[in-house]
Amino acid sequence: MLDKLNKLSFVIGLFFFAISVILLANYLTSNSQPQQVNLYSGIIFLIFGTIMMLLKNTED
Amino acid sequence: MKLHFTDYLIIAVYFLFVIGVGFIIKKRIKSSNDFLNSNRSIPLWITSLAFISANLGAQEVLGMVASGAKYGIMTVHFYWVGAIFAMVFLGVFMMPFYYGSKARSVPEYLSLRFDEKTRALNAITFAVMTVFSSGISLYALAKLLEVVLHWNFDLSIAIAAGIVLVYTFLGGLTSAVYNEVLQFFLIVLGLSPLVIIALHDAGGWSSIKTQLQPQMTHAWKYMGSANENPMGINFMSLIFGLGFVMSFGYWCTDFLVVQRAMIAKNINAAQRTPIIAAIPKMFMPLIVVLPGIIAITLMQPALLSKGFSIPTNEAGELDYTMTLPSLIAHYYPTGILGVGITALLASFMSGMAGNVTAFNSVFTYDIYQAHFVKNKSDKHYLNVGKMATIFGILFSIVTAYIAKSYNNINDFLQLVFSFVNGPLFATFLLGMFWKRTTSNGAFWGLLAGTLTAAITHGLTLAEGKGGWISPMFEIKSGMGQAFIVAGFSWIGNLVTTIIVSLATKPKPDHELTGLVYSLTEKPKYVTSKWYTKTLPISIVLIIVTIILNIVFF
Repeated sequence: MLDKLNKLSFVIGLFFFAISVILLANYLTSNSQPQQVNLYSGIIFLIFGTIMMLLKNTED
Repeated sequence: MKLHFTDYLIIAVYFLFVIGVGFIIKKRIKSSNDFLNSNRSIPLWITSLAFISANLGAQEVLGMVASGAKYGIMTVHFYWVGAIFAMVFLGVFMMPFYYGSKARSVPEYLSLRFDEKTRALNAITFAVMTVFSSGISLYALAKLLEVVLHWNFDLSIAIAAGIVLVYTFLGGLTSAVYNEVLQFFLIVLGLSPLVIIALHDAGGWSSIKTQLQPQMTHAWKYMGSANENPMGINFMSLIFGLGFVMSFGYWCTDFLVVQRAMIAKNINAAQRTPIIAAIPKMFMPLIVVLPGIIAITLMQPALLSKGFSIPTNEAGELDYTMTLPSLIAHYYPTGILGVGITALLASFMSGMAGNVTAFNSVFTYDIYQAHFVKNKSDKHYLNVGKMATIFGILFSIVTAYIAKSYNNINDFLQLVFSFVNGPLFATFLLGMFWKRTTSNGAFWGLLAGTLTAAITHGLTLAEGKGGWISPMFEIKSGMGQAFIVAGFSWIGNLVTTIIVSLATKPKPDHELTGLVYSLTEKPKYVTSKWYTKTLPISIVLIIVTIILNIVFF
């Protein structure tokens, strides 16, 4: 895990993964406003974050 | 606009990550070369995204959205006439000299090609400009947060400057570059939902074309006469002033962006850095120009029911700079609102970090080591680089408060920047492609170009600015005036450099090998894949750019 933090793609993926969790949690817990944009953005961030974390790259 | 816990949490996570990147990179910093030049070890995809991101500061993001609202689709000329061709030129023709000469900075290339006085002139003006740019970025950030979120101005400056200081001090250029890449994704992914929602609300592109004057949705059709388009310039001024002088001057000679290509692993990657960066750059108008066009569409009578409006300033005129924040406030609910605000914060901080890291390199190598303390240990210059980072941030804070005290300081400094940057490309063009160019020619050409810019500005008047010698020529927009000033300053530099060069003695050929096109062996690459070669990708890029110009003609 610590080694992976040296890879920028993993760090970026982890960031978007964390943001997606916040957005989706906000969507699930909120019922006051139209939150569809949080749902769709959360899903896209989740997919992007996961791909970036799993990406094999050549950086040292 | 009011943020809630979720929004603050997203901002806090971003701050945690950018500082975390600084701590991760800190372990790799062993020498001044690591700190100031990333030891020329950064992978191509990172240098490319950092290259485009270094230019994606908030002034760029807010400014392009504002221009989209004010001038319409003509704003894409900054991308499809200006940036793409200049980035391709940099990659194909100029990077071999920057990278191959082993210069650590753009001013250092000038010392190798010409002499120390030309290097010093460029280094000092660049260092001053970067500190002021960084400070103005900081001021704009604090001002935006004060106006939009009602945050405390002083506290905003302290937090933003503090965070940038932590990660640039810990990880130097590499840390700044890594955060620039994170910022790039944050801006693109954070603002894309806004474009989609707002475009849908405005009824799509066809509705926009129906609602707006045709001058706002055609990039070239009304460029035949300066009186027919909102920018107030004709196609010749645009192509020469923006497309050639300003864009090539910025993308090919500004160390802030060129530095990102100079830290690539090898010359092939260095050449491809601006070319790969040109691919996302080509499509950036979707993120930073289209929202402005949508915003002005939403204010047309037929769409007033949507309830969106761009705020007005004290004079009752539309405050175009607030276009993007108002769109975010109008369309984003809690959650994604935090992402949108974080994207703005990221672009401000990244713009500041980019300037500070360019400043510390130029100060350490081109001012301190070149003119004050030579032949010290590497550790000494590493410490100087770190101290320059701290002082760069402190000067930025001072500049931010100067900007707060003087309403027009931003305009004034942008003007000075255009005076200095405009003519610079002539020096590089002649220096790299005409071996007869002499050191004295370059130096006096630079000074003459700057003087020509000042005189042109003094004789032209646009939106109440300029004309301080005599307002002999009136120009419709400030942007049009900037193109004309840049064009004349470039000619002033070119003519002076040629005349002085012909009257003075050039360097012998053997001293110019690797620095001048005709005396340098062209790099050869052992690769069979067309997409890893510089020229084929460049040709594809240019063809696609031409097609885009035709589609939106």
